[in-house]
Amino acid sequence: MRRIGAALLSLAAFLAIWKVVTVIGDYPEFILPAPERVVEEAAGAIASGVLWEHTATTLLEVVLGFAVGATAAILAGIALGKSVLVERVLSPYIVAAQAVPILALAPLLAIWFGGGLLSRVVICALIVFFPIAIATMVGIRSTDPLLDELLRSLGARPAQRTRLLEIPSALPVLFGGLRVGVTLSVIGAVVAEWAGASVGLGVLINIANQGLFNTALMFVALATLAIIGMAFYGLVVFVERRLVSR
Amino acid sequence: MTAAHDHPPALELRVDGVDLRFGTPSGVLALAGCTLHVPAGSFTVIIGPNGCGKSTLLRLMAGLLSPTAGRVLVGERPPRAGDGRVGLAFQQPRLVPWRSTLDNVALPLEVAGIGARERCDRAARALERVGLAGAADLRPRELSGGMAQRAALARALIGEPPVLLLDEPFSALDALTRETFDRELQRLWMERRRTVVLVTHSVSEAISLADRVAVMAPRPGRIARVVDVDLARPRPVDLAGDARAAAAATEVREALAEGHAAELRPWAEQEGAA
Repeated sequence: MRRIGAALLSLAAFLAIWKVVTVIGDYPEFILPAPERVVEEAAGAIASGVLWEHTATTLLEVVLGFAVGATAAILAGIALGKSVLVERVLSPYIVAAQAVPILALAPLLAIWFGGGLLSRVVICALIVFFPIAIATMVGIRSTDPLLDELLRSLGARPAQRTRLLEIPSALPVLFGGLRVGVTLSVIGAVVAEWAGASVGLGVLINIANQGLFNTALMFVALATLAIIGMAFYGLVVFVERRLVSR
Repeated sequence: MTAAHDHPPALELRVDGVDLRFGTPSGVLALAGCTLHVPAGSFTVIIGPNGCGKSTLLRLMAGLLSPTAGRVLVGERPPRAGDGRVGLAFQQPRLVPWRSTLDNVALPLEVAGIGARERCDRAARALERVGLAGAADLRPRELSGGMAQRAALARALIGEPPVLLLDEPFSALDALTRETFDRELQRLWMERRRTVVLVTHSVSEAISLADRVAVMAPRPGRIARVVDVDLARPRPVDLAGDARAAAAATEVREALAEGHAAELRPWAEQEGAA
């Protein structure tokens, strides 16, 4: 109860400061709309179904991209963590791919995978991959060698050691990677939409900004993205609390 | 479950002329010409100074290491980790922190692919046997050092291995808890005469538990002498007044001192020359 109270209080303070700034500055609406204008715009966009149409597409990209990227990253991270050879062979490529800005890569991927959902999921998955793969690798390596010897003394096969010991040992660090990854997935979706899409919150931002000069609508899209990011982050933290009990 | 499964016959252990070199062919020679016969159903204690290869020898018996030369046999065959013939307890309890005590004790059965219900039943009985029935649902961090080591002992015993190997399992416990453990270990062994090999630093612990004390000498590790301890059981923890116990202890201490002196001789000779 107290936590929710504190969050509501800080939200109220944020809106109040925003309102005060718009009153004192008296900015034109295309620079900084007042909070009630944004709420009004949001109500309109919800009523007309426009907001949901764009949000649904972005949500799908975020969820699919995160699911594909996180799954691949965890599998790769396990392989990287368990085998020094795999790390030596693969890590230069993984780091190089991470060093190339996804914004620059997005148009190329749109050419390769087409303008549809697939290319956007691939972009989300790519941006999500790195932090989760590295966190998994570090987590796997944090396995207590004494417990590993115990499992070997029981005749546990490598797959059993991974399941019974290495993955549970990796979970605290792995979840750090998942927290970072899930927020990056939202960024990936917007970047992917900018590289070529007709619907999505990234597209809505472009329409509001360049087509309609409707800054209030842009704020609505930005706030929705922020809420999506916070909601998924919260979901990851919730699952983490369930699984990591130490 | 058959009675034979419950009570597998004890197995003898043979270590024949074993060399063990770590790493490269020019690596450290941990054991050289190590030979030891552990009769089936006997309680053998291995004693020796730090770094003499006691734990290494135990890992060879458990199938965690393979000898560079010579051979190790448990019964007729070399040991293989997970073959169910050997139970091993380490110096630290090594409980998996996110598992309950019950699930920790059941871990060997889980690795062996035994179903959840049977695992649970057998682990509950194993906990009862070491007096931890009430701690089944606790996490390792909620256990005292003594309780954790009891759980580790229950885990080593759960597969009813014919051979039980104990690597200084009580060395981290306080003296009183340790005496209780020694008594219980003796009781467990007398109930079911499995072959037990215990590694320790303590001469008095060795004498109060062992049929035979194998004294190791260091660098490279080898068995220097085997001392028979012919005392009635159950033995009291305090054997101070017993003449035969005192004689055995003296013999063990002499053998330890010889190994130690042999190790120091090069320095002593250098000093003599200077």
